[in-house]
Amino acid sequence: MAAEVRPVGNPPLPPPILERGVIGWMHANLFSTWFSGALTAVSCLVIGAAAIFGINWILFNADWSVIATLGGQLVIGQYNTELACPGQNCFWRPQVSVLLVTLILGMMWGLAGGGLPKRMGIAVAVILSAFALLPYSFERMGMDVRLLLGANIPALGIGWAIARYTPLGTSRNVALSAVVVFVAILLLVRGGPAIPGLEPVSVRHWGGLMLNLILAVGGIAFSFPIGIALALGRRSSLPVVKLLCVVFIEVFRGVPLITLLFMSQVLVPLAFPENFPQNSLFRAAIVITLFSSAYMAENIRGGLQALHPGQAEAARALGLPSWQTMLFISLPQAIRNVIPAIVGQFIALFKDTSLVYIIGMLDVVEISRAFIQGNPEYLASTKELFLFLGLVFWVFTYSMSYVSRRVEENLGVGRR
Amino acid sequence: MSPSLTYKGVPVWRHTQVIQWTTQFVSGILVVVLVSWFAANMINAVQDREIPHGFSFLDREYQTPIGQHFLPYESSDTFLYAFIVAATNTLIVSIAGVVLATLLGTFIGIARLSGNWIISRIALIYVEFFRNVPLLVQLFFWFYIVLALPPVREGYVLADRLYLNNAGLSIPWLSVSGLGSSLGWIGLVVVAIVAGIVVHRWLVIREIRRGSAPDPLLMGIATVFVIGAVGWLVIALSSGTAPFTVSLPSPHGAFGRISDGFTMSGGLMALMLGLVIYTASFIAEIVRAGIQSVSRGQIEAARALGLSNARTLRQVTLPQAMRVIVPPLISQFLNLTKNSSLAGAIGFSDLTNVAKTMTQTAPAVSIFLMIMAAYLAMSLTYSLIGNLYNKRISIERR
Repeated sequence: MAAEVRPVGNPPLPPPILERGVIGWMHANLFSTWFSGALTAVSCLVIGAAAIFGINWILFNADWSVIATLGGQLVIGQYNTELACPGQNCFWRPQVSVLLVTLILGMMWGLAGGGLPKRMGIAVAVILSAFALLPYSFERMGMDVRLLLGANIPALGIGWAIARYTPLGTSRNVALSAVVVFVAILLLVRGGPAIPGLEPVSVRHWGGLMLNLILAVGGIAFSFPIGIALALGRRSSLPVVKLLCVVFIEVFRGVPLITLLFMSQVLVPLAFPENFPQNSLFRAAIVITLFSSAYMAENIRGGLQALHPGQAEAARALGLPSWQTMLFISLPQAIRNVIPAIVGQFIALFKDTSLVYIIGMLDVVEISRAFIQGNPEYLASTKELFLFLGLVFWVFTYSMSYVSRRVEENLGVGRR
Repeated sequence: MSPSLTYKGVPVWRHTQVIQWTTQFVSGILVVVLVSWFAANMINAVQDREIPHGFSFLDREYQTPIGQHFLPYESSDTFLYAFIVAATNTLIVSIAGVVLATLLGTFIGIARLSGNWIISRIALIYVEFFRNVPLLVQLFFWFYIVLALPPVREGYVLADRLYLNNAGLSIPWLSVSGLGSSLGWIGLVVVAIVAGIVVHRWLVIREIRRGSAPDPLLMGIATVFVIGAVGWLVIALSSGTAPFTVSLPSPHGAFGRISDGFTMSGGLMALMLGLVIYTASFIAEIVRAGIQSVSRGQIEAARALGLSNARTLRQVTLPQAMRVIVPPLISQFLNLTKNSSLAGAIGFSDLTNVAKTMTQTAPAVSIFLMIMAAYLAMSLTYSLIGNLYNKRISIERR
């Protein structure tokens, strides 16, 4: 065995002061050339000025009262008004829906045992409960509302316990419960004539962020499988199937969503018999879903195209029939490779739910716009209101892309 | 005797071809039945409820004003012409938006890759914010910012050239004196550009043969300018005309309304701001990914061959990055064009907005067929240009 090599003479000197520590980092990243140094100086000045101006504006000049005035309308729109819910208080229904969502988050935490689901669940439950402490008078926000909001933390715990200590705690059961909860929320918010205590609320009165979220969740859940089907259809060797899928995808991708939504209100009713039961929200949801699935199909097709043909060939060589090859070999890899594009499409879908204004639904954006239009005295605080809306959307969309990045890390994209 | 392993063949219903043909037949029939059911319902509805239909309305007078328009328009013009005016609005907004968003997006994308930490952070924050907020919210925000500008008489004025107020932004604009006199000028421009291309080609060939030559691109551009300037002087001195005059905006009348120059209405300004800033955040990510996709070895090899930084970027990095950038970039151009249909929300008369108004006095079915045709035509044109370009720059397999 070779003897250990010992350094001869003095121990090596540390790197020069300019190359290590904070100074080294600054030298490499902020002042590497004179141009870079100048950029740093200028941008520091600009950021400093913007920060002083921004903080000053946010704290002293901006008038945020418009958000407090709109308050619950931003969340549920016209849902709990006399028009929608005559003679009763319907506010508890969306709140119980939120509790159900927290329950599912708790179950996901219990299933995963920690990590991202834990942090997400706790963050959501704590933020929702914090709303119970809003400094409203009890006239505007009663004790019942506050209690139901505060119940989110116990709901999270109950969900966690269910997943931990009951047979419901398998990933299949949790996924099934999520579907059940989504349907239950739709029923709860809609109500029905036959159910005592749940007077029906017309979908015309659904609104606010609740409407955006319902449309987005439904759209995501359905556009994903439809998109996969369309992608497979477009790559099919059967000319008729392929043609149908190509026409569908290109038509839906070629026309603005807003035009399609408007069409769904004017033309689609004509395409069904006169007494056919329909409602405008349902039509809009279908149009948004189909629009999104056309884009989804192209993303998934990209993933399938990028897949090495050896994968499918190996599966066939092992004797898997072609549908199993597709389902168990090709699709999972293809989808894993295009997760960013798919999540990007989910985010686009969520942002697109704000377009339902064209059919007269009062989603969170439209209700704000309508409020400003109806109350010109708030015209000056429009920028505050829309800045706030932008922030609300940003929180949701950014969390979506954050979750997708974590999922990608867990699936080892780019590493194997 | 061998054991009775007689092969009976695959049953008919499991033949691949049988399955395939049945699938196609069934799906084809299903779609045909569904579509004809919809069509039959629609025809019934049109006949029973006496809903207007057909295209005879196109010759009628539209009799509705259109806000800002780029083609000349009067309320007495026909539906068809009004539709064309609206389509031109959408087209011009989309072309201007595409150019500006590409410039801004490329700039931000390169800033994202900057070695300077602060610059790359600023670019990252820009992208993450504007990409994640619905365009509609951004449009409303910009629209109210524009609305909150001071009225015309107290508006901002920069050097008597730029006027910014709640009626919009007025800028100096070129006014062409007439097509007859401009033909000569267009000819000059064409000659200059052709000469520039010839010089560029010639220098490239010479460079390949001899190994050294003046920078072909620089010399090409110089040729265009020299020929243009000389031609301008010659024509201007001999005939005394200019290719265009600059029309300066100036306040007029009792209300200080700005006339001449070119005035962008508040709606158009908010629309352009929103569209460009929103789309640029997507383009920035595309540009960044494209540049990052070029392997480091390529750049190192170019430097080892003695190419300057600028030439490495122009002749090694960019051509390879373009292969990755172009396809998604084209789809962003399409998105921008389609997103311009949100203009109606902030009071700019684009194609969708005008068509929506038209459905109040004209058959909706026909209008929708026309809008779909118009948007599909624009989409297909963009895709066609993109595909042609993509074919030209794609890797040549040797």
